[in-house]
Amino acid sequence: MRKIKLFLFTVLIGTGFLSAQNKQLLYDFYEIPQSLLVNPGVKTPYKWHAGIPVLSGVAIQAGTSGITVNDLFANDGLNFTDKVREKVVNGLSQRDEFGGSGQIELLYGGFRIANRPDTYYSFGIYGEGYLSQFWPKDLAILAFEGNGNNIGRRFNLNHLTLTGEAVNVFHFGINKVVDNKLQIGFRGKFYSSVFHFRSTGNQGYFETTEGENNLLRNTVVADLQLQTSGIESFLDILDDDSISAGEEFPKNFTRRALFGGDLGLGVDLGFTYQLNNRTTLTGSLLDLGFIYYSTDVKNYTLKGTASNEGIEIILPESFNDLNSDIWENLVDDIEAQVPLETNTNSYVSLRPIKLNASIRYNFGEQKRRTEDCYCGTNTVINNTPFNYKNAVGGQLFVINRPRGPQAALTAFYQTRIGNALAVKATYTADKFTMTNIGLGLNFQAGPVNFYILGDNLLGYRNIPDSNYASLQFGFNIISWNSN
Amino acid sequence: MTLMNNKLLIPFLLVLFTFFSCAEEQNFDQLDDLSVVPTLATGIFYFESPEDVINSLPPGNFYNQTFTFEAFNEAFVSERVLDGSITYQLENTTSKELSLLVEFLDETDTVLDSEVFTVQPQPSPLLEREVVYGDTGKSLDILRNTTRIRVSSENLGNNSSESTANDPRIILRSSAVFRVRLQ
Repeated sequence: MRKIKLFLFTVLIGTGFLSAQNKQLLYDFYEIPQSLLVNPGVKTPYKWHAGIPVLSGVAIQAGTSGITVNDLFANDGLNFTDKVREKVVNGLSQRDEFGGSGQIELLYGGFRIANRPDTYYSFGIYGEGYLSQFWPKDLAILAFEGNGNNIGRRFNLNHLTLTGEAVNVFHFGINKVVDNKLQIGFRGKFYSSVFHFRSTGNQGYFETTEGENNLLRNTVVADLQLQTSGIESFLDILDDDSISAGEEFPKNFTRRALFGGDLGLGVDLGFTYQLNNRTTLTGSLLDLGFIYYSTDVKNYTLKGTASNEGIEIILPESFNDLNSDIWENLVDDIEAQVPLETNTNSYVSLRPIKLNASIRYNFGEQKRRTEDCYCGTNTVINNTPFNYKNAVGGQLFVINRPRGPQAALTAFYQTRIGNALAVKATYTADKFTMTNIGLGLNFQAGPVNFYILGDNLLGYRNIPDSNYASLQFGFNIISWNSN
Repeated sequence: MTLMNNKLLIPFLLVLFTFFSCAEEQNFDQLDDLSVVPTLATGIFYFESPEDVINSLPPGNFYNQTFTFEAFNEAFVSERVLDGSITYQLENTTSKELSLLVEFLDETDTVLDSEVFTVQPQPSPLLEREVVYGDTGKSLDILRNTTRIRVSSENLGNNSSESTANDPRIILRSSAVFRVRLQ
């Protein structure tokens, strides 16, 4: 039990690295080089950039829909079981989700070459992943109330949906100015999966009804599966008392992250189109790709149909069973009708495709600074590559999830304060929250760039009562393009 | 410089707002107070014999079988069961007085408990009996230690009479409803 808890804890910690999903603050915030990772066709006002290794991009995100920590654990004197029954068991639906995601950049850089000034190349390595669990409403009711109080109710097994992974991504991108209106980008990705699991597309039900012969009949119709890859090797480490889990876990993690696990390919595509002097359209499609899971695969299936009314003794046929073990026969029949089986079949998983789009209106002239700003001798003050003072616009984000696409809409305002600071404020509505106000700050001190982006700021008034929290930050060294 | 300071004030305050946030007091020890007690229900066994089968055998005991029954003995149930009941339903449309005996046996075949059902010839009313286990009923240890059930049936009449009912037979139905503590 201790080992299982340790493993689950490790998985949860691992998902802290995971692929952040909606990055509405970073999107089109092209003062920050990481904006290239959410739109390879974004404007690139850099000559070159280099991320501080491991610190250039850290992003974590967690969300729950339908309930908050405070709903359950507030020290309010209410009966805890009643709160769970009201707010969780009866309050949540199968569309409610618990999830966490994140990303950490290990290496990130970009450059231009002299004979192709309109093209910007970028490359890097980052680890990412996510954990998502939809609320299994019917199974929770079955566990909380049992079937005895729900005769005739059909408990759907398709409420069971779970996915998670940790993956290392190697990428190389090309960003090109096509003409004075259009800029396009492409990023190729090579995935090295550490671990992956998913239980999606489940079907079936369990119900208790009046029996055909006996008083009650239990029926299960199941078509369930859990696919895993990379999990077994970690479980083996935990089970082996002769080795140190503390040493072997990181080794196995690193080995699988560096091409020793399951591999895959993907691309990102994006563009920026200048509608007129002040208005731009942008769009990107991220993670059009797949991972082929063939190493350390273990899949579990539960498939079949069984109905049971208890032991049946029907004469005269049962006279033939006087010497047989009818209990064991009954158990064997059920196990044969709905067998729990395992296999090591390879499988392919498509990446969670993400769509970003935005329209942006720039206004206000960028004031050229002439006075002393006291911000360092290397600060860029007179040749700013940014042609706006303020910008407003809207953004759309859609991600393909196991239960279908999820969308988020964002309105934003962006402003530059001198040459040292750019600020972006967002309002986002999605399934987690309708009151998500975010703030992004980008500081430029000479060549040193620091950014910090925080989401759902209103939730920080009482963090346990927040449905959603997200934070990104990083350090870069940037040399601005002078043209 | 003053202008710059004013412009930086709002973002600065927002950063403070972000990082010096609040958290209402939480009590995670409440998790220990969670009570999850589902009620589980299932059919146990079903016995059926047509009158012509009974007539084909001499009067007296016409069926006797002991079979394994470990549903209550499973650790998941025996360690968590709080209380419950077993409901029996006996239906006799034959022309004979019949008796059915259900015995709960442990691993050494010691009888822990038994239920006897005697029904009059047709027309006889449906016999229904609920046996409660737990605080207000019989000891739960009976069920926890039951590993086998013996079912015996006896013809207390003759083997020649025939019921006027359509498709006459004796039927014993049974089901169990129990509360178990998961948490």
